[in-house]
Amino acid sequence: MDHGRERSTGETGALVPISKISRRTMVAGTVATTVVAMLPLHNSVFAQAALPDKAKQDMMAFLILSVALTGVDISTLAPEFSRGTGDLVDADPGVDPFNIKQDYFDQLNGPGTAAVFTSLLNFVKKNPLVSQDDIIAKVNASDDTKFLARSIVLLWYLGSWYDPVDLKNAATSPESVDGPITQKVLSPKAYTQGLVWPIMGAHPMGYSNLQFGYWSRDPHDQNPDQKGNPVPLFNPAKPLR
Amino acid sequence: MAATSITCDVAIIGSGFAGSLIANELSKKGIRVVILEAGPDVQPNFNAYMNSFYRASSKVPESPYPPAVFGFDGKFKDPATVAAGRPSSLTVGGSKKPGDTKPPTWQDPNKAYLDQSKSTRPFKSTYERLAGGTGHWMGLTPRLVPNDFRMALRYGKEHGFVDWPIGYEDIRHFYEQAESELGVSANVDDQRIPGIDDMFPDSYEYKMPRIPPSLFDQLVGDKLSQLDAKDTQFLGMNRPVTSLAVRSLSAARNSQPYRNRRACSGNTNCIPICPIQAKYDPTITLNEATNNGARLVHHTVASEVLLENGRVSSIKFLTYDQENGPPTGGGVIKAAVYVIAANGIETPRLLLMSKNNGQTPNGVANSSDMVGRHLMDHPQYLSWGLLPDPIFPYRGPLVTSAIGELCDGPFRSQRAAFRVSLGNEGWTTVVGGGARFGADPNVTTLDFVNGTNFSGVNANDFTGLGGDNRALFGSALTNTLGNLLSRQFRIAFPIEQNPDPDNRVKLSDSVDALGLRRPEIHYDISDYTKRGFAAAYQLKVLIFKKLRATHDFTKAFQDDPAAFEIDGIPERFTYGGAGHVMGTYRMGKKTEPKTSVVNEWQCSHDHPNLYLVGSGTFPTVGTANPTLTLSALALRTVDDIVQNLPSLKS
Repeated sequence: MDHGRERSTGETGALVPISKISRRTMVAGTVATTVVAMLPLHNSVFAQAALPDKAKQDMMAFLILSVALTGVDISTLAPEFSRGTGDLVDADPGVDPFNIKQDYFDQLNGPGTAAVFTSLLNFVKKNPLVSQDDIIAKVNASDDTKFLARSIVLLWYLGSWYDPVDLKNAATSPESVDGPITQKVLSPKAYTQGLVWPIMGAHPMGYSNLQFGYWSRDPHDQNPDQKGNPVPLFNPAKPLR
Repeated sequence: MAATSITCDVAIIGSGFAGSLIANELSKKGIRVVILEAGPDVQPNFNAYMNSFYRASSKVPESPYPPAVFGFDGKFKDPATVAAGRPSSLTVGGSKKPGDTKPPTWQDPNKAYLDQSKSTRPFKSTYERLAGGTGHWMGLTPRLVPNDFRMALRYGKEHGFVDWPIGYEDIRHFYEQAESELGVSANVDDQRIPGIDDMFPDSYEYKMPRIPPSLFDQLVGDKLSQLDAKDTQFLGMNRPVTSLAVRSLSAARNSQPYRNRRACSGNTNCIPICPIQAKYDPTITLNEATNNGARLVHHTVASEVLLENGRVSSIKFLTYDQENGPPTGGGVIKAAVYVIAANGIETPRLLLMSKNNGQTPNGVANSSDMVGRHLMDHPQYLSWGLLPDPIFPYRGPLVTSAIGELCDGPFRSQRAAFRVSLGNEGWTTVVGGGARFGADPNVTTLDFVNGTNFSGVNANDFTGLGGDNRALFGSALTNTLGNLLSRQFRIAFPIEQNPDPDNRVKLSDSVDALGLRRPEIHYDISDYTKRGFAAAYQLKVLIFKKLRATHDFTKAFQDDPAAFEIDGIPERFTYGGAGHVMGTYRMGKKTEPKTSVVNEWQCSHDHPNLYLVGSGTFPTVGTANPTLTLSALALRTVDDIVQNLPSLKS
């Protein structure tokens, strides 16, 4: 007898199921990402997946670019980043359990945006110690790089992919916009790693690591840092050297 | 397709709040219960739902739950291809533009599950069809107040008001029982309303301490603690209003571990889904019911209530395996007592579909012609503003406090009552009064990244950046967003709707993937309710002024099908749905079978072994969120079923 359709621990009547119930497609294959998003940091398994040198340099260039554009420190964007003693582009971006930077890198390196993305990486690789203001000036110098840079920030902030073409259309003819700008949440992990939430002192909705009652208090740490300064809500970008 | 036959003592259609509570109480007493659920079973965990929610680009109330609203092509799925469909917040909007040949989304039955093609205005509330029912509820559990049960007696019949066949005293004990079952956190003193005595006995205590107030609650409470009575005269209370108390609202959210569920950790996600079930949902009671011997049969849609000699003799059903159908089987369930607990739209739909080969052309339990009529919601007047200083929204349960004391007063003979609910979720609901450009934090973030102003805040008046439509990178961006997002607030005014027989559920010619006719909705907002909006508007202006919120980001677009204007008020209004589907099979005295569908025990006037439960039985709706009241009524109905079962079995 097939009990697929019923669920009971008691005998309450004569039920004859008719046909086998198939698992909902929605349920299948959806558990893994949620579990990954809850793993603690510093898991040595991930450290083994080190990148080859060229890929490491590209990733470092992406991080240098991202720090300038997002205003968020590299220690948040790449928690396992290790500066080392060589040139900045030869530093180790590190691999962390979330490793969301790789997902964003792969998205940007995909069809439609790879060429402009590569040009930005090459600019940074040639000028690794350029100031954050100069990086911003560089990307703003042409529409191609400007709108791709905006897509990069939106990935980091919201975990969503906004196509630079759609961003350009919205910015140049906002009167033609009649609905939300098309976006795709890259993954559940990307949503839960969005930076806009800590920037405003909150957490992604539906993903709180906080304790009962926190909402009735100011989110700032009530204790100053070692130098007596107030602790910011998030980790603002410090210059890279 | 083989026919299935199920027999039991009590057959329940629907496993939401009312169905689960009744199933559990009856099975505790050894009564054989079978529940038919139209949608999928209780899930072993919330991972799949959370995954769907995280992935959703629009995090609307339905976003975690099946069935999918969009097809693989990214377009709305035709509800005719869905076995057990349901309305979506994504299909209640849209407007017709000059030259359009197709109807707007909300009036297009090829996109929207509810056929509103003939409706005056959109009915915007939604519900789920799955085991445990509508999990996307806020968790708020205020009680109705005594006058809510006697509107005609107190405030006259002019606006269609009628009296309930029961009073507050008749239900008080069951409120307490429901508060225990759902697990309500509150402080009794916070729930008392000035001028309304006897709601709580002195000895009463809630099961858990109250949920603490958010920073925004604390601010509003402080700013409204001293008011000039002249400024509040418009409220029409029978006393000078020199302060308005912001109080912690009772909620079925754990403030400490309760019944093996953990305490709320402020996921700020009561709607659509509490990831840790600190907020009660009916799967908790449903699991207890099945542990006690009740049987849940899922993917099983009741399709017709059959009669014999004035009683229900069986209920026909169809089964399906895949979300998109087709039907894979069918059968009948036979019981001594039948309980239909399928919400305020699906219950009348089932009754109206039940034609018994033409012997009941108007449907079952409908000799009064009242089935499906008096559809009501609490139309929500929503407002968004920006404070001078941060209060850090997007933290804590979505709503922790409210102003409840304006829910009753002599003004109710003239205009609708309302409560005031303070939001902790910034501008996530929607930005700018309509879901047109999406929700925050996306819209505001996008504006400052891309140099647009869909949010309305990318203007020098708010940013001091020396210009409008600024596009920022780096620290300028983090500083601006951190500042503006942490100053956002939302205030909602859920407004009472009076009963109107023409606001109704009928049967559409459009069908679902099982071939069953879908609900057709006719809906409008009365002048009485609009006058409630007008008073809420005046209070909003006062609160914004007290908060020094100089700009109001509330906006109704010209072509919004829900929009309306009120003489003398310089604002164009619109409303949101509260998700409160009420009134469509109302209760009345045993002596009023021509004007009501069920009696005070929620038993059909026409058929002694048929009970219709849920908020559809509310004759009037007050301003309290309906879940606690419908749960109390369901628990009260258990007593009647238990008493009548022996005679109905023979």
